[in-house]
Amino acid sequence: MSDNLQVLLLDDEPIVGRRLKPALAKIGCDVDVFEDPEQALAKMAQKEYDVVVTDIRMDQIDGMQVLEFVRDRWPRSKVIMITGYAMMSLAREAMEKGAFDFIAKPFKPDDLRRVIAKAAHALGSDIDFEAVEMEKVNG
Amino acid sequence: MPLIIVSSDNFKQGDEIGQKVAGVLGYRYVGRELLTWVASENQVSEEDLARALDDPPGLLARRARRQRMLGYIEAACLNVLLDDNVVCHGLAAHLYVRAVSHALKVRIINEPEQRAEELSQAEGISLDKARKQVLRQTKDERRWSEEAYSLDQTDASLYDLVISLGTLELDKAVEIISDTVSYRKFQPMTYSRKLMQDKALAAGVRLKLMEQFPDIRVEANDGTVVAYIQSLKKDQRKKQEMVRQIAGELPGVRHVEVHIIRDLVGQAAQSSR
Repeated sequence: MSDNLQVLLLDDEPIVGRRLKPALAKIGCDVDVFEDPEQALAKMAQKEYDVVVTDIRMDQIDGMQVLEFVRDRWPRSKVIMITGYAMMSLAREAMEKGAFDFIAKPFKPDDLRRVIAKAAHALGSDIDFEAVEMEKVNG
Repeated sequence: MPLIIVSSDNFKQGDEIGQKVAGVLGYRYVGRELLTWVASENQVSEEDLARALDDPPGLLARRARRQRMLGYIEAACLNVLLDDNVVCHGLAAHLYVRAVSHALKVRIINEPEQRAEELSQAEGISLDKARKQVLRQTKDERRWSEEAYSLDQTDASLYDLVISLGTLELDKAVEIISDTVSYRKFQPMTYSRKLMQDKALAAGVRLKLMEQFPDIRVEANDGTVVAYIQSLKKDQRKKQEMVRQIAGELPGVRHVEVHIIRDLVGQAAQSSR
C-alpha cells in the first residue's frame, strides 16, 4: 500500500471532485472520489481512509450520517465536512459528533489542502504544504 | 481554542466572573481596559467610549456619535478576538459575534428582587424605589441594545448559557463556564475562524468610512467587501468611487462593491427646495 495519505472525497456535485482531486494529489494524497453516498459507505466499510471529506447536504444519506459511520467504523480517520449551507448550529453539531473540521463552500483548493495538511499532522504523517506553496510561486 | 463572551446585568459581577474564568483557563481577559487603547488610537475620549456602552438611549442627535464610538470599540474588540483563548466582557461583543460557533456566549443574571435589595442597601433608598430603578435599568438595557444593534440583549435566546446568580454562587458560575467551553462544539474550525476574520475586516472597513458615511453598513466575505451607503442620486457615483478607493486600500480587501440605499429623507428635502 502506498505511503500517500488515503483520502475519500464525497460530494454529489461532480465538479467538486473533478476540481479537488488533482489539487489534493499535488500534496501527496491518493484520492477516491464518490458522488453517491451509498457507494462511498460501501467502500468505507472495507477500506480505512486517513481522511474523509464529505459534503453535508446530499439526497438519501447526508454528511452527518457519513460522519457517524466513519467515527463508528474507523475512529482514527479524520472527517472534514464541507457545505454550502453553513450555519452555526450545523457547524457545532458536526464538531460535537467528532468532525475534524468544517468548511463553508465556496472555498479555494488551498483552504482544503491546509486542513488536510493539519489532519495529516494529527495522524502523525506530515505534508509539506509550504513546499507546495513554494512550487506554485516558482512555477 | 474558543472564545468566551460574558454579558451581565451587573457590570462588576460580569467583570469578576470573566477575570476568574480567564484565570482558571489561562486565557487572556479583555474588558474595559481596551477602551484606553481604542481612545488613543482613534483620538476620542475614553469617557465618551464608556458612555456609548453604558448610557441609555437619548436624543436622536447623540445616536450617530454613539454609533461611531461603538464602531471604534467593535473594530478593536474583533481584532483581539481573532486570537484564540480570550475571555471578553463589557464591550458588547455578545451582540456582534453572534454567529461565530467558537464563541461561547454567556449571560449572567440576578433575580430582580435581589438586585433591588442590594441597590436599596448600597444607595440607602427604599426597597420600593430600588425596585423601580431596577425595572428602569432593565428597560434601558433592552432599549440600548435594540437601538445600537437591533437586538434585545436581555433575550436568553442570544446566549449559549444563562446563569442566575440568584440560584448559583459566583464561583460555581465560573466553574460551569470553564467546563462548558471544553465541549467540542465550541472548538474553532475553518468556517468559524473565517467568519471572525470576515467580521473583523468588515468592522475595519466601516471604521475607515464612518466619518464620511455615518450610516454605512459593511459585509465582508473572503476579501470581498460589500458596503451599503445612503446617497442622493446625483452624488451616487462620487460616493461609490470614494468608498471603493478608501476601502480598497485597506489590507485584506481584494474587491469592493458599493450598494446605494436611497436617501429618501434627503431626496424629499431636495425636491421641496
